[in-house]
Amino acid sequence: MLENFSFRTIVEYLPLFGQGLVTTVWLSVLSFAGALAVGIVLAAMNLQRGRLFRVPAKAYIDAVRATPLLAQLYFLYFGLPRLGFVLPELVVGILALSLNSGAYVAEIIRAGILSIPRGQVEAGVASGMTYVQRMRLVILPQAFKVTIPPLLGQAIVLVKDSALLSLISVAELTRAGQLLASDRFMPAEGFITIAAFYLLLYYGLKGLAALSGRWLGLAGART
Amino acid sequence: MTNLSSKNGAGMIEFRGVNKWFGQLNVLKDITLSVEPREVVVVCGPSGSGKSTLIRCINGLETIRDGDLTVDGQRLGDPATNMTRLRTEIGFVFQSFNLYPHKTALENVTLAPIHVRKIPRTEAEKAGRELLAKVGLADKVDAYPAQLSGGQQQRVAIARCLGMRPKIMLFDEPTSALDPEMISEVLDVMVAVAEEGMTMMVVTHEMGFARKVAQRVVFMDAGAIVESGTPDEFFSNPKTDRSRAFLSKILRH
Repeated sequence: MLENFSFRTIVEYLPLFGQGLVTTVWLSVLSFAGALAVGIVLAAMNLQRGRLFRVPAKAYIDAVRATPLLAQLYFLYFGLPRLGFVLPELVVGILALSLNSGAYVAEIIRAGILSIPRGQVEAGVASGMTYVQRMRLVILPQAFKVTIPPLLGQAIVLVKDSALLSLISVAELTRAGQLLASDRFMPAEGFITIAAFYLLLYYGLKGLAALSGRWLGLAGART
Repeated sequence: MTNLSSKNGAGMIEFRGVNKWFGQLNVLKDITLSVEPREVVVVCGPSGSGKSTLIRCINGLETIRDGDLTVDGQRLGDPATNMTRLRTEIGFVFQSFNLYPHKTALENVTLAPIHVRKIPRTEAEKAGRELLAKVGLADKVDAYPAQLSGGQQQRVAIARCLGMRPKIMLFDEPTSALDPEMISEVLDVMVAVAEEGMTMMVVTHEMGFARKVAQRVVFMDAGAIVESGTPDEFFSNPKTDRSRAFLSKILRH
C-alpha cells in the first residue's frame, strides 16, 4: 500500500505547499485582526443598555451564527458582484472570515466582560472613574485574561475555516493540496501533507497562547 | 463650625423625604437625615432594612425616586451636579473589599489619584506608600490582593479611598466578610480615620466601634429610620420595640 505513496512528489511540491502555508498564515492573521475589530465593536454595542445598538448587534450575531460560512462566502463572492461590488477573491476571503469569526469573537469578549464581578465596576464608579476609564483600567485588563483561551480556540477554527477559500481559488494551503491531487492524481499525498501543515499551525498557535498566558501571569493577574 | 465644605448652610449629607423602590418594594421610606461635617454616624438594623441602600444612594450607586438628597452642597439628580466629580469626594468601602485583583496594593491605592485626580505618578506613589504605612501595610505595597488576608485587603481598600483625599467616607458593613480575628485591625484603622475628623457614615453591627467614635446611631427597619440617638442613649435605653428586639439579638453573645 505504501509503495504507491510518493514522498518524492511531496518534496517536489514543497515550494508550492510552502507558498500555500505562507498565504494561509498571513490571511489568517489579517482575518483574525479583522475579527477582533468586528468583535470588539459588536460586543460594545451588545453591552449597551439602549436597544438602538444592542438589537442590530444581536441580529448580526444571530444571522452569522445561524448560516454556514460557505453560504456567506458564496454570497460575498458571487452575490456582491451582482450588486455592483467587485472585489478580488483574496479580499472577499479575508472579509468573509473576519465578518464570520467576528460574530463569535463578539460573544467571547462579551462573556469575558460579563464575567468580571459587579463589585469591580462599582469600585471604579465609586472612585470617580468615567465609563472609559473603568473599561480601560479595571474591566478590560481582567476580561482580557479570561478571554485568551476561548479566543485561541476561535483562532484555530478560523485557520481551519480558511481552507474554504480554496473554493474561490485563493492559493492557500488546501488549494496546494488540491493541485497535487488533480495534477498528479495524488490525493493521499496532497491532503496528508496539508493536514501535517495545519497541525503545525495548530501547535504554533498553542505555543503563542501559552507564551501570552505566561506573560499575563507575570503581570500579576491572579485571583 | 465652618461652612466652607457645606454650602447652603446644610449638613454634609442631607436626606429630605427620600423614597426609593425596587419594583414594588419600598426600600427607603421617607428618609430625613442630616449628617454634619466631621460627624460619625453608625447605621444599624436587621438585614434587608435598607441600610446599605441608604449609603449607596449618597454616591449614586443607587438612584432615588423622590425627595431631596444633597451631598457637599450638591443636589443629586440635578443636571448641574457632576456625579463623577462628586464621587471623588466620597470614599466608599465595600463589604467585599472589591480591590482590583490585577493591581498591587500600591497600584490599587494610586490608580484613581493618578487617572481621576490627575496627580503626578511619583507624588501619588509617595502618598500611597504613606497611606499603606498608616494602615499598617508598609511591607505589603507590592503584594497582590490574592496574597493578602481579608483584613489586610480591607485596610488596602480604606487606604485606596483615603488616597483620593475625600471629604466623606462611607462604609458598607466593612467587617462583615472578615474572620473574627481580623475585625479589630480594620476597626482600629476606621477609628483612626474618624479621629482625624472625617465625615463618616458606617453601616455596621460593631457596637464597640459605635460607642467609641459615633456621635449618633441610626436604627433602620423595613426601609425607615425608626430611631436615632447618641450611642449611649440607643444602647442603654432603646425607645422602640423593634430596636429592643434587634439589640437583644446582636448583644446576646
